[in-house]
Amino acid sequence: MSEYTHPDVLVSADWLQEHIDDPNIRIVESNEDILLYNTGHIRNAVKIDWQNDLQDELIRDYISKEKFEELMSKKGISNDTTVVFYGDKSNWWACYAFWTFTMYGHTKCKLLNGGRQKWVNDNREMTKDTPDFPATEYKVSQINEDEIRAFREHVLKHIDGKKPLIDVRSPGEYTGELLHMPDYPQEGSLRGGHIPGAKSVPWSQAANDDGTFKDRKALEELYAQGAGIAEEDDVIVYCRIGERSSHTWFVLRYLLGYKNVRNYDGSWTEWGNLVRVPIEKP
Amino acid sequence: MSTLQEIIDDFQLMSRDEKLDTLMDYSENLPDLPQRYHKARDEGKNRLHECQTPVHLWVEMQEQKVQIFVDVPREAPTVRGFVALLLDAFDGKTPQEVMECPNTLLNSLGLVQILGMTRLNGLSWLVKRLKQEVTRVCAENS
Repeated sequence: MSEYTHPDVLVSADWLQEHIDDPNIRIVESNEDILLYNTGHIRNAVKIDWQNDLQDELIRDYISKEKFEELMSKKGISNDTTVVFYGDKSNWWACYAFWTFTMYGHTKCKLLNGGRQKWVNDNREMTKDTPDFPATEYKVSQINEDEIRAFREHVLKHIDGKKPLIDVRSPGEYTGELLHMPDYPQEGSLRGGHIPGAKSVPWSQAANDDGTFKDRKALEELYAQGAGIAEEDDVIVYCRIGERSSHTWFVLRYLLGYKNVRNYDGSWTEWGNLVRVPIEKP
Repeated sequence: MSTLQEIIDDFQLMSRDEKLDTLMDYSENLPDLPQRYHKARDEGKNRLHECQTPVHLWVEMQEQKVQIFVDVPREAPTVRGFVALLLDAFDGKTPQEVMECPNTLLNSLGLVQILGMTRLNGLSWLVKRLKQEVTRVCAENS
């Protein structure tokens, strides 16, 4: 892992095993399935649900700064706690939570390489005991939204400026043949296709079969040579609701060291429904 | 075995956490798929393609009563829980009772807010597909 630009952000299962009781570490599990944590999880891990915990109930947005502070306090996370994320689906939701925490200015975030599946497959210890940590004082001092989050206005400017956009959905979704992921429910996009100019690099190409990330050389081939994006480029990534693109956001920002990468979390469920925005369909 | 109305009544009295705990209990008690269906499952038969999780469903009729056999992986406890709830409500009941199940069952159970749209669509399909299977098997047997 040392070959990556920020190798310290990615931790191995051995590392986590050694730090499992470290009071300065809080392990956070984030899954697609809301009950998966309850079937067993890494000892001392707390659960954060991408929907119930991180998203506002009423508006399609993230929770307020105050709600985030409350959530952190409840989960026993202080401003200087190192949070290690892991989850199902090759860490999609773990990356999504990582991205959300980064947006609220939490700087000490790490990701478990290989996520939940690798931990389980390696027959490492799992428990059903839910840990209880004392409540903390947590203060959000700055929100990094501008740096890592893109809205539709930014995407429109990107199209005009011919700046790089990466569509990380499956090939069928990119071409517009499918309105949703293979085997996933349709989530109400009225139009199929992709944002004009977006290059297709499905997120899964950055991952090995065991959920770990590919090595630096393979990732460079994929993004630098394959998609033609350079380290200093202003890049926007998207998928359908922003979860798979968080995975790619993580790869570009931390593993390859791209400095300006934003996740368009509105993604296709917004773009595919917007009136009069341009769509490309081969 | 409960009636659907009893399950709905119980759910309506539950808090968010109690609902999730109940789904979890259901999930842990979903009966295994009988051996005789394993080969068909491994060949990908009767898979419900609307559901992101690989769910395989078979319906048999025995003395005019519906028998339901389902396979859901352990990594998908929410789907397992909802399927087990459907079994609790409809296994051993008449086809008519299955047909009367509202397609908006997830609303009646108060699970819409808790699970969210992304997770709901696949689950809603389970009710529709169960009805389709029951209709198909009844037609075959008539």
